Parts: sequence; C-alpha cells; structure tokens
Amino acid sequence: MTLPLARRLALAGVPALLAAPPLLRGLVPTAQAQTAPAPTTQAPGFYRFKVGNFTVTTVHDGFFERPLENFVRNAPLADVQKILADSFLPTDRMRIPFTITFVETPTALVVFDAGNGVTPAGATQGRMIANMAAAGIDPAKVTHVIHSHFHGDHINGLLNGQGGAAFPNAEIIVPAAEWAWWSDTGNETRSPEGQRGNFANTARRFGPYQGKVRQLAEGAEAVPGIRGIAAFGHTPGHTVYRVSDGSAQLIFLADLTNRPELFAVRPDYHAVFDFDPVAAEASRRRVLDIAAADRARVTGYHFPFPAQGFIVKEGNGYRFVPGDWSSAV
Amino acid sequence: MERRTLLAAAAATPLLAAALPARAHHNEGMAQAPSFYRFKVGSYVVTTVFDGFTPRQNPARSGLIVNQPPEVVEQAMRDALLPLERMDNPFTVTFVDTGRELIAFDTGTGAGQLSPTSGLLGHNLEEAGIDPAKVSKVVISHFHGDHITGLSTRENVPVFANAEVLVPAAEWAFWTDETNSGRVPEFQRGTFANVKRRFAPYQARVRQFAWDSEVAPGVRAVAAAGHTPGHTVFQVASANDQLFIMGDTASRPELFLRNPGWFSMFDLDGPMASETRRRLFGRIAAERARLTAYHFPFPANGYVATWGEGFRFVPADWSSVV
Repeated sequence: MTLPLARRLALAGVPALLAAPPLLRGLVPTAQAQTAPAPTTQAPGFYRFKVGNFTVTTVHDGFFERPLENFVRNAPLADVQKILADSFLPTDRMRIPFTITFVETPTALVVFDAGNGVTPAGATQGRMIANMAAAGIDPAKVTHVIHSHFHGDHINGLLNGQGGAAFPNAEIIVPAAEWAWWSDTGNETRSPEGQRGNFANTARRFGPYQGKVRQLAEGAEAVPGIRGIAAFGHTPGHTVYRVSDGSAQLIFLADLTNRPELFAVRPDYHAVFDFDPVAAEASRRRVLDIAAADRARVTGYHFPFPAQGFIVKEGNGYRFVPGDWSSAV
Repeated sequence: MERRTLLAAAAATPLLAAALPARAHHNEGMAQAPSFYRFKVGSYVVTTVFDGFTPRQNPARSGLIVNQPPEVVEQAMRDALLPLERMDNPFTVTFVDTGRELIAFDTGTGAGQLSPTSGLLGHNLEEAGIDPAKVSKVVISHFHGDHITGLSTRENVPVFANAEVLVPAAEWAFWTDETNSGRVPEFQRGTFANVKRRFAPYQARVRQFAWDSEVAPGVRAVAAAGHTPGHTVFQVASANDQLFIMGDTASRPELFLRNPGWFSMFDLDGPMASETRRRLFGRIAAERARLTAYHFPFPANGYVATWGEGFRFVPADWSSVV
C-alpha cells in the first residue's frame, strides 16, 4: 500500500489521540494482520467538490445516538417513527451524525465549526481529527474557524488533547449575537435548563484564542466570498453562511435542521435542542426556501455523510437530495 | 454499456493510462477520498467499490431514453437537481465476503480501457484492503462491456487470478452465438467479440448457472431479463438480513427508478426490461430490502420507496462504524 501512515491508521480505526509515533509503529502491523482475511474497517470519511474555484471538503466526525423518545417536542413518538421509517432510518433510537465543512478559497482555509474534538476511547463521535489527516488537512493551516453557534458538538473541537488551541493559527469568527448571549452569565436563568452548561463551556473552549476572536454582525462578510445569514432560534445567534464564487454558491446550513429526513420533511417539528423552537422553525422555513429557490448546493452539520446536496420543496416541507459522488473533484 | 466509448477508448489507449484520476490524485493534496463503503448483511461483509464514471454529453438529446421526448427527460433531470449538459454514468462494483468466500459482482470497466474517468476499481480496491487475487468468485450479471471488461487487463491478463467466473447460462448462450448479432443494435455488436476476449483467459474456470440456483451459500440468482437476454440479479441472505445486487435493472435511479417505463438505448428489450424493473423494485420496496446497483450514485447502496408511478432511491445512512 502506498497510503500515507495517517490514512492507514484512519483506515485501521486507530484513534488519533494515540498519535504518538512510537505507539503507532507498534500498532500498524497488528492492525494489518487483523485486516488480512477480511477487512472490516470503514473508508475515511471525507469528500471533496468544487464551488466555483473554491474547494470544499466535508469531513466526518462520527455520530452520537440517543433515545428517540423526547427528541421531537411537539409530535407523538409514533409519528416521528413513521417519518424516520419513510427514510429507512432506525426507529428505536436517534442517530445524529456530525460532518464538518472546510472551504479553501484563494486566500483562506476556512472551517465551519470545530467538531467534537478529542473524545474518550470508544466514543462514536470525534473522528474528525483522523479524517482531517486522511484528507490531508493540517489544522495548523486553517486560517479561520467560522462558527454557526456555540453548542458543545460545534465548539468542543476548538481544544486539542492538552487543552490548547486545536487551530493554533486561526482567527475565530463568531456571530455577535451568539457571543453576546453565551458570554454573559446573566443570561443563564433566561436559557433552557438543559443549555445552561453552554456558558461555562463557551468560556473554556474559546479560552486559548484570547485576542483572536472576531465578532460578526448580522449578514456581514466573514472573509471574502463568505457571508453570514442570521438564522436565530436554534440558539440566540445561530447563523448559517453563504459561500459564493462567481455564480457558484454553497450554503452551510449548520443546525438549521438536525437530520433533514426528520426536520426538512417536517419543518414544523421542534427538536429538543432548539433554544427558541418557534423562531427556529421560522428561520428553517425562510432559509430552506432560499436554498430551494436558488437550487443552491448545501452542506449541513447533521446531514448524512457526505452531507452535501440540495433542498427541494415537497408537500408542506422539504427534501434533502444528496449530491452525486464523483471521483473527479 | 458504452460500446462506442469502448471502441474510441481502444483507439486512444496510450492516452488513457496517463489520464487516470487516481494516478494524479496519489500525488496531490486535493485528492478525492478513497471510494469504498462497507456494511454488514447478517454476518457477511459487503464492500461497494467505485470504478469512476463515463460522462455523457447532453443526455436528454443524445438518444439515451428511447421512448421519451427530450423535454420530458430534461424535466426529470431538473427535478433531480442533475445538470442538463452532462450526465455521469457511475460504476460501482459490489464485493461480498461471506467469511469463507470473497465474491465480486461484475468487474468494472478495466483500468485504462473504457474511458479516462473510469477504471479506478483497482486503486479503490487497494484502498479498501481487498486483494483481487483473493477473490474466489466473480459473478456476472450480464455481458455489457462496462461489467466484464475489468475481468482482464488491456493485455488480456486475468485481473482476478484465482477466481472462478460464474455467468448466467442464458447470457452465455446468447453472446457466444454470433448468429444473434442481427438481433442487437449495431452499437452493441462489439459485445460478441469482447465476450470472447474477456472470458478466454478464464476458460477452464468459467461456470454457467441457471436462474433460481445458488451461486454461493446464501446467494441466489434471480431472473431479470430484458436489459439483456440473460441479465440476472442476486439475492444475498445471511441470518435474518438480505441484500439485492441489482446490476442494470435500472441505470441512474433519477431517470429509470423514477420512471420505470422509460427504455434505455442499452436495454435490448425495452418493454421486458421495464416490466422486470417494476416487478423487482416493487418487490424490494415491499420488503424494504437493502440493495446495491451498478449505476446508482456511489456508495450505491440503499433502499427503494414507491413514489407516484415509480420509485425513489433512498441512499442508506453512511456510518463510520461498519
């Protein structure tokens, strides 16, 4: 095999946390011996495509499973199960995948949100570091981390295993409204109980980036070719981003929906993680309408990997249409 | 299959090897991901492996759909968010590891043989850790060039050095009898010579099977004639799980699943292909069975739901855990 070491390790499922060279050299032959009769490792989780002259790479960060009960707040379980079954998804649990969108422009290497970061051994989330390595993306070369919002699965990856900056050379761009909310502990009692941990987590995750955090006003340009679209509701400052190069565009939808099989099909469903579900629903309809009307390419943080495709209007809701997979980037 | 492309490719062979994307990608930071995908069916491990694609310019107006006006085809493409000016015909080969046997279902287009953007199977197999020499059986759905050319190299050396090659008896009977050449459109007549060439190096190891027989434990051949006279799909069963390997029962799902009544120029018998399509996908939709299909978008595995007069392909969720 002519694969780089990192990719072989990713294929072998070796957690990146162990990535101290002496350990790795010891692990490789074992992994290969195990895979000799019948390889059972998954392919590296990344996918590349062009938006104009920009190169987009979606990088998988694994998944998290939770009970389906109490996931949708305003619909009976049986109805939710029916919608999931229509998309051939499991109905006995909710699997939430994570996929991070990277965009390389002529002047910047941008990542939208930061993934789950370093996770304990055995966790099903936290694959981004290994998959970035497989994709040949060096976190030290990331110039901007642009945040949609501050839920843990989106900001935990700002820290590396030692608690330092995982993106040591990046400027961190955050929606001003999101920053204002979660950096003021005076808002704690005005936040849903399940979300109060975000205050301390925000302070901790942005800690090593002091002086490198830039707040972005509603609708402002983050870097050339990338502009925010306010989509408040999921959190007080939840923001999605339009990436455009010439007539080509991509909309990073962040958490406008959780799994589209559920919340694009039923935009009126309210997820348990929505800070203000009514505002979230209004934002969801407004931005999905834009994506559908523009026939824009979209990526979504909780969309099924490779998490890129299109939105079409269908019935009273929308449907995610996965984009074609091509061997030619 | 694209016979004209095959002929053009044969003439342009020296250019093709140099143009293989996989080669270029090996040395580039901006390469596409290794294109294979694994999942389990009972205790069997299934790996779909991408062979690349062949582009078709202006598909709605180049005769691909025999029985529909271009405007109708273009509307279907628009509805599916596909570009109108070019449609890629992707190729994905399914491998099933039963624990005792490693079975390939069809063979891809062959490296540097059919088109400069296909023939990536060998590269992606290497990425997947699958050694073609360890394949014990190659099971063929039908004999169009994009399914059998990968049996051998340009020099006609076997790619699956230790494999037995299993072929549908009806398909073998048809394409090994050149008196049938008047019964196929001119652009498919090269298939007779290609069949001779590709199976020759496997001569003693070619075995014919009948429909409804088992080609391996848990793997049953199911009649699916129409696309070609012996076109066959396969039902894989392990524990309480099953998988259908659908070959060319439908080509791109956005066209032929959505509209099972459409005839492709590659269907030798359009009406029969269409009837087979309705029958088999109707059954798969009813059983909510998982499937793989050769020309579905990679990773080419998922489910089928009924949708209006036709069906919709629902890709299976991609999982980092096999």
